[in-house]
Amino acid sequence: MKLSLISKLAIAGLLLSSTAVKADVVFGALYPFSGQLALLGEESARGLEIAVDEINAAGGVQGQKVVLARGDAVDNNQAIGEARRLISIGKVAAIFGTYSSARSIAASQVAEVSGIPYFELGAVADEVTGRNLKYLYRTNPTAEDMAKLIVEMIVTKVGPKLNKKPEELKIGIIYEDSSYGTSVANHQKKYGSEAKLNIVSMQGYPAATVDMSSLVLDLKQRNVDIVLQTSYSNDSVLFLRQANEAGFKPAAIIGGGGGYSMQPTADAVGHDVMEGVLDVDFTQYLVNTSFTPKLEEFVATYKKKYNESPRSGHSLNNYAGALAILQALNKTKGFKPDDILKAAAAVDVAQGTTSVGYGFKFGKNNQNERASMMGMQWQGGKLVTVYPDAAAVAPMKIGGK
Amino acid sequence: MTDTAKVTTVPATSSLASGESTHGFGRGAAYGIAALLAAILLLPVLIGDDFVYHVFITICIFGALSTAWNIVGGYAGQLSLGHAIFYGIGAYAGIILMNMGISPWLGMFVGAAVAVIVAVVISYPCFRLHGAFFALATIAFLEVFRVLALHFRDLTGGATGKMIALKFGWEWMVFREKFPPLAIAFGLMLVTLAIAWWMREHRIGFYLVATRERESAAKAAGVNTVKVRLIAVAVSAALTAFVGTFHAMYLTFIEPSAVFSLPLSIQIAMFALIGGLGTVVGPLLGVVLLVPVSELARGWLGAHAVGLHGFVYGVTLVVFVLFMPNGLMGFLQRFRKQPDAPRAVAAAAAASTANIINEAPPPEKRPPLGNEIMVVENLDKHFGGLHVTNNVSFSLREGEILGLIGPNGAGKTTVFNMLSGFLAQDSGTVKVRGTDGQFHTPLTPTDFAAIGVGRTFQIVQPFAAMTVEENIMVGAFHRHHDAKVAREIARETAHRMGLGPWLNAEARGLTIGGLKRLEVARVMAMQPRVLLLDEVMAGINQTDVRRAIDLMFQIRDSGVSIIAIEHVMQAVMSLSDRVIVLNSGQIIAEGKPHDVVRDPTVVEAYLGKEFVHAQA
Amino acid sequence: MDTFLQVVANGLLLGALFAIVSVGLTLIFGIVKVVNFAHGEFLMVGMYLTYLLTNKLGIHPFATIIAVVPLLLLLGALTQRFLIQPLMNARDDHIQIFATVGLSTALINLALLIFGADIANTPQSGLRVPIQLGPIRVLTGQLCILAASIALVVGMQYFLAKTQTGRAIRAVAQNRAAAQLMGINVNWIYILTFGIGAACVGVASVLIAPLYPTSPNIGTYFVLTAFVVVVLGGLGSIGGAFLGSMVIGLIDSLSGFYISSDLREVAVFGVFLIILILRPSGLFGTRQNLSHVSP
Repeated sequence: MKLSLISKLAIAGLLLSSTAVKADVVFGALYPFSGQLALLGEESARGLEIAVDEINAAGGVQGQKVVLARGDAVDNNQAIGEARRLISIGKVAAIFGTYSSARSIAASQVAEVSGIPYFELGAVADEVTGRNLKYLYRTNPTAEDMAKLIVEMIVTKVGPKLNKKPEELKIGIIYEDSSYGTSVANHQKKYGSEAKLNIVSMQGYPAATVDMSSLVLDLKQRNVDIVLQTSYSNDSVLFLRQANEAGFKPAAIIGGGGGYSMQPTADAVGHDVMEGVLDVDFTQYLVNTSFTPKLEEFVATYKKKYNESPRSGHSLNNYAGALAILQALNKTKGFKPDDILKAAAAVDVAQGTTSVGYGFKFGKNNQNERASMMGMQWQGGKLVTVYPDAAAVAPMKIGGK
Repeated sequence: MTDTAKVTTVPATSSLASGESTHGFGRGAAYGIAALLAAILLLPVLIGDDFVYHVFITICIFGALSTAWNIVGGYAGQLSLGHAIFYGIGAYAGIILMNMGISPWLGMFVGAAVAVIVAVVISYPCFRLHGAFFALATIAFLEVFRVLALHFRDLTGGATGKMIALKFGWEWMVFREKFPPLAIAFGLMLVTLAIAWWMREHRIGFYLVATRERESAAKAAGVNTVKVRLIAVAVSAALTAFVGTFHAMYLTFIEPSAVFSLPLSIQIAMFALIGGLGTVVGPLLGVVLLVPVSELARGWLGAHAVGLHGFVYGVTLVVFVLFMPNGLMGFLQRFRKQPDAPRAVAAAAAASTANIINEAPPPEKRPPLGNEIMVVENLDKHFGGLHVTNNVSFSLREGEILGLIGPNGAGKTTVFNMLSGFLAQDSGTVKVRGTDGQFHTPLTPTDFAAIGVGRTFQIVQPFAAMTVEENIMVGAFHRHHDAKVAREIARETAHRMGLGPWLNAEARGLTIGGLKRLEVARVMAMQPRVLLLDEVMAGINQTDVRRAIDLMFQIRDSGVSIIAIEHVMQAVMSLSDRVIVLNSGQIIAEGKPHDVVRDPTVVEAYLGKEFVHAQA
Repeated sequence: MDTFLQVVANGLLLGALFAIVSVGLTLIFGIVKVVNFAHGEFLMVGMYLTYLLTNKLGIHPFATIIAVVPLLLLLGALTQRFLIQPLMNARDDHIQIFATVGLSTALINLALLIFGADIANTPQSGLRVPIQLGPIRVLTGQLCILAASIALVVGMQYFLAKTQTGRAIRAVAQNRAAAQLMGINVNWIYILTFGIGAACVGVASVLIAPLYPTSPNIGTYFVLTAFVVVVLGGLGSIGGAFLGSMVIGLIDSLSGFYISSDLREVAVFGVFLIILILRPSGLFGTRQNLSHVSP
């Protein structure tokens, strides 16, 4: 008897805990705020918050103030629970999220069944949009876009600078063996083979590793010209250090986001070692602002609000995606799911007009077909954009050229 | 609850409570559990909210997982931190088969079958390991499974995981409605609870707990300890796999790192531990308490600072463990009336004397000695360079009491260990005549128990966490599979051994004399044909010795043959029909008690050469 | 051939890394008989302390040892006194495992709360300089770890064998009741042992911090391997743990190079399971340590 009382109290508490302010229009912000993915989850959510602030400062959406209700998607079961909580108790009009692909896949199924629009602003796995969901839209570029751009960069820039044809380039692909690394690596292999690159080694490893010397030796022995690594912070640092210490100096190292886009990685590895390392990721901050207008305003607002510089491009991409959606919502009437879907379908933002550079138009599977990544290079301890040329602030330096 | 109090003071009324089981629940508790279960099913329906449904589905899922885990971790006491293996197998089987167009209702059983095979294969070699070592081995297996699931992409989809096609309806276990998933989760939990409850109330449960508490004593009581634990692991794995399949359908998406997950394994075990290890409803209570608390903490703290929620959760666990080391069930039991120890002891002393005086049958005419029932030939055993048993041969006849004496270190207990299968001899044979009249050569403790050889241990080996009644029931189950019958026999034996007043007391609370009697009672409940008693009279007082001697005559007269290792000479002299003296692993004398003690070689063995010369 | 030598060298240096993390765990596991799941988090705490002291005071990471080791000794002693000791006589010894799991969760999240999930870099202070030794390349910092792990193992062996306290510790490990009868304060010995075990982790963290970036989860990278090493070495055998570390380091390195990088864990845990099942006393354990195995 006692226990059922306890559980009743618990339910009462749960109902109270949904503290989203009534009135106004509520959107869910579903990110991993605790656990292993907390850092970039939080960073992503900041972008969404800044977009909401900006919209509210301009009078809100359809005259209503936008309020965010946070949900913590710490694991897949939680992602489902929090999505349900946001929908049923938070009464959100739509959900924005999620940074992690696995959480996004789990939570968006709930939204689909409940008929609530779900806007993915940061998860890169193909499967997120590959499911014929009606209510899911994705604004950001994907793992496939990343791999495609990396291969494109090798063929059009790196190869010519090394005076080598694609088939003469020996490529080694290494990746952390979770979903993120695996899906990027598989696309790298696919597009690399199509471009006739000579892929000599492809190896996964657990991200929680303390030693990568065997991998480094393997790559060194095979005389790999270009290493493609898709990794988190710790393993990026480990590989770059151990490669350097083993005297392994490939002509190019190209990272796939993650640790490669993080300043602490460069600081840990040492700026001299990091010099010249390439990276393909979401739009970052050292970019030609004629291609990304309003980027500087975003950075200024971010610094003012959080008292630090953005820690990665995740906030920027979430910001740009959220802003595009919110602005589109402002052009329609009502917040019913169908109204929102109609607004999303009508989104049409041209490339080169947003703070991330890429434009917005939803195509097949509600994926933003204008989304693209950018190529960056570590130069002088800074991650500067070098590809595509329209966005570049500095030329790509390969082999001293 | 007042019944229990009465039982402890007035032994005679204990039979009134015969229908009631000891670790089941009083009527009040049973109603409480029924109300709790009803609340789990009805609350979400009444509130009707999606999120509340999710919380309760989560409660059901973890309730089922923890209850299933408890069969291995609690009953059998094998701390498995690899249960996510079985959960993962169920999940993958469900999704892989569903994507081939096979309903998860079938996939569930395929998953369970695979899980059972895996469980048996990996547990069998690990059962030699105890405590932390077993836990570490299961963690290692879990890591291996996770990495293999990542590696074999064709089957599992690798790191990117596997998704189900969204096909709705009962046949696919995926729903647009809120209620059906709750109904299925609740049903799974109910089935798991029912099986856990059934096991705990029946022979298998007693055997598991006995094995957990004292493996050797359980073996002596005829328990095939490996087999019962394998059954436990198999049942637990199958139930866990069922839940895995359903949860995969509910999540619609699985990946190796989420299903073959050490944190998940730890969480499942943690719920059971906090609720109360080895109890039927403890794990469920742990889940019912912790899942909402963790949801609340997430809601309140999650938004404030990264890590705060996890920090509070970790600290809560530590505090919980520190202040409720026996779990919620242990905590709740403190409120039940405990047997009043001093009074019980006094009553018991009175009662046991009374029992023996009153209940002892009038001295019957002793039946004549029968044929040989146990024949020992040329037993040899070396420990390293030490020749502990040297060409020992003797035989035991039906209805005979054979005394086995000798100085410390003579090898008496070693001989006993070979006579009961606990130690394999280097050479020689032990033959026991079965009820079929033929001689057999049993090898394992289970074989010996099966043919009717029962033994006690020199160092008492009670099943400490079980009550006296349950201790004796473990023995009684050897001949009687039905719990009710076993309970009756246990009670009868307990009263005969003067343990009646303590029936519902935990064995750990008994005095040394009580424990010795319990040791004998447990063997007696097995209704053995040959009884090996290892120093049952050592360390008990004079009155008890006399009582024990009477008891042994009674046992003998009921047709049981006895071999007794004994140092209490009074007992040896009056009890034994024949005495064998063992010294340095060799038989140095054999014969009538009075002849043997006068034998100079025996005196020399006990007291040294000088003493013999002095006497001469 | 050169490559093979390099792989072996890498394996041995990795083994030294595991060894220095495991010495303290061996002591705690072998003597207090507690599986300390928070061991990795002790390492994490030590590495953050090193990071803080080095950055705030601008001193060489190795100099922080004078502060880090006593602080971890205190942390270990407090853990034993207020977390493990109250549970020493609990009905179920599994309960201590869960107490340490709770501690581990709390410490990881505390670090997350204070330092965030970013990696924290202790200055390398010249410890990542490669040295060419014949055909193989190694780092100065790795050599320091190798030297320190050997020194720690030898020192611990000496401490346990020759000093009064060390003998008391061994007496408690062999027979708690008998030691108590001989007037040894068992609870105090346990507190001391846990403290020394944690202090060993302090030494490890000072050496590791300059080589590996610190993060709240860094402990989880080491803890499972450390358990593997301790069990392989034989319960409580410090020398055994050292050799076990070398074996695991070599398996890790060789399988990573010659089999496949993503199957290294299978090789490590597979070997661990085979040895545990076939030879439960560990590779170098003696038969007297078999209380955890059924006959």
